[in-house]
Amino acid sequence: MTLEVEGVTAGYTREVPILQGVDLTAQQGLVTVIIGPNGAGKSTLLKVIYGYLEPRAGDVRHFGKSIIGLEPKDMLNEGIAYLIQGHSVFPKMTVHENLELGAWTLGGDRAAVQAAFEEVYDHYPRLKEKRSQLAGVLSGGEQRMLELARLTMTSPRTILLDEPSVGLMPKLVDTVYDEIARLKEKKYTILMVDQNVKKSMEIADYVYVLQLGQNRHDGPQQDFIERLPEIIREWI
Amino acid sequence: MDLDLLLNPIILSEILLQGMVRGSMYALMGCGLSLIFGLMGVKNFSHGEFFMLGTYMMYFVAVMMDMPFLAGIFAAAVVLFIFGMLVERSLIATLRKRAGRDWLLDAFVLTIGMMVVMQNLALLIFGSRRRGIARLVEGSVDIGPISITLERLTILLVAVLVVIVLWAFIKYTRTGKAIRATGQDPDAAQTLGIDVNRVYTYTFGIGAALAGIAGGLLISIFPAYPTVGFQPVIKSIAVVILGGLGNVPGAIAAGLLLGVIEAYSLFFFAAGWQNVITAILVVLVLMVRPYGLFSSAKGERP
Repeated sequence: MTLEVEGVTAGYTREVPILQGVDLTAQQGLVTVIIGPNGAGKSTLLKVIYGYLEPRAGDVRHFGKSIIGLEPKDMLNEGIAYLIQGHSVFPKMTVHENLELGAWTLGGDRAAVQAAFEEVYDHYPRLKEKRSQLAGVLSGGEQRMLELARLTMTSPRTILLDEPSVGLMPKLVDTVYDEIARLKEKKYTILMVDQNVKKSMEIADYVYVLQLGQNRHDGPQQDFIERLPEIIREWI
Repeated sequence: MDLDLLLNPIILSEILLQGMVRGSMYALMGCGLSLIFGLMGVKNFSHGEFFMLGTYMMYFVAVMMDMPFLAGIFAAAVVLFIFGMLVERSLIATLRKRAGRDWLLDAFVLTIGMMVVMQNLALLIFGSRRRGIARLVEGSVDIGPISITLERLTILLVAVLVVIVLWAFIKYTRTGKAIRATGQDPDAAQTLGIDVNRVYTYTFGIGAALAGIAGGLLISIFPAYPTVGFQPVIKSIAVVILGGLGNVPGAIAAGLLLGVIEAYSLFFFAAGWQNVITAILVVLVLMVRPYGLFSSAKGERP
């Protein structure tokens, strides 16, 4: 079990808890998708996992080790990387510089940084081609690709994705899911929050449904495909 | 005054040079102010007092300790860098972490308070006497018919050198890249493990050091006294607006431009008019190009 969330209760103020006793497990090499209506606490859960929000109760473990309240650099050292919602490339820096910053926590370990570059450029020849262009001039799809590539610079074991396809044109949405599927082949553990229920079902292995900050359903993707219309009807 | 004298090319080029010397100070000041604003959104009104501390550092090192003036500039840079970092860590970061959304207004009021406190502390400790240095370097060189004092040449050269070092630092070093990344997207920078708070502290220190260098360098024009920072801070705010808020290269260009415009207006009109012209220029730019002369129409920064 790569990532375990156990009985997490958290919120931004004391009076209004967003998450109320959420449990979740993400298995190594699989894509785990969290879906649910707006305000269910999906993104908040990722923030708790990445240490941005300290839970009032419960525990988060990565390979058995509690990771509550770790700083981002320690999270990355633990092998967890996080893609925040919305655009996050540095638009006035080159593709290469963006990737270099992805390897920030490798610090002065030049050999490791070099190896990471080789692997990423190998995996994304398009980015290699455009390495000296400013990230801001790339297309929306390429920018998202750069964000995903940047996540892998530290060779994490677990990747947290918050709404990876939001704000992209429909044509590009497919490319993003293809990219995530390729990451899955490379045995990353992927935990993804998604509004795009239909698309995310295509790459999901295991699905969690959150509603009002609590677990509502969970199960393997096959079980969900048929029940999906019924589950979504519950939200409305 | 007859027209021949007014349009004499030798006089005009001497004024150009004079303007560039003043302008290099505005550029250094504006650079620091713009860097801090661009990264953190803080409008630092105590920037003039960093300048003032730079003039005192120069006086202590070059006159009282009788060391070469370059040592004075170096001391001003180092002391102000440390002082700026302390101010950020102890005061500004505290506001940022506690006050939430409205912290920028709080920080603005804080820097005005710092201005008053530092001016009065300086008055208390050093008194109101002006302590200047007539010349950092003696002598002059002739380039064709134009004679340039080595003093002016030195000020220009040091300012250019400082700007080049700053540019290379921001472009090529690891810390420089972290500064740029944080300025463009602090949330993304943080998820990559960059210590955003430390970046803010360094940047504030660098901005303060630039003001200190400007103060030390210009001591022959602005001697050390408690309120010496007033003119420079007003001018550097004008420079930041002209160059585009947070646009560091823009601030450098606008600084030189403003210095030259001021020098010519001083020559063609009378003393005192240069401030009026600066103000008119700022208003005009705000009306016509609100994002500054050197930013794109949408306000994007290079």
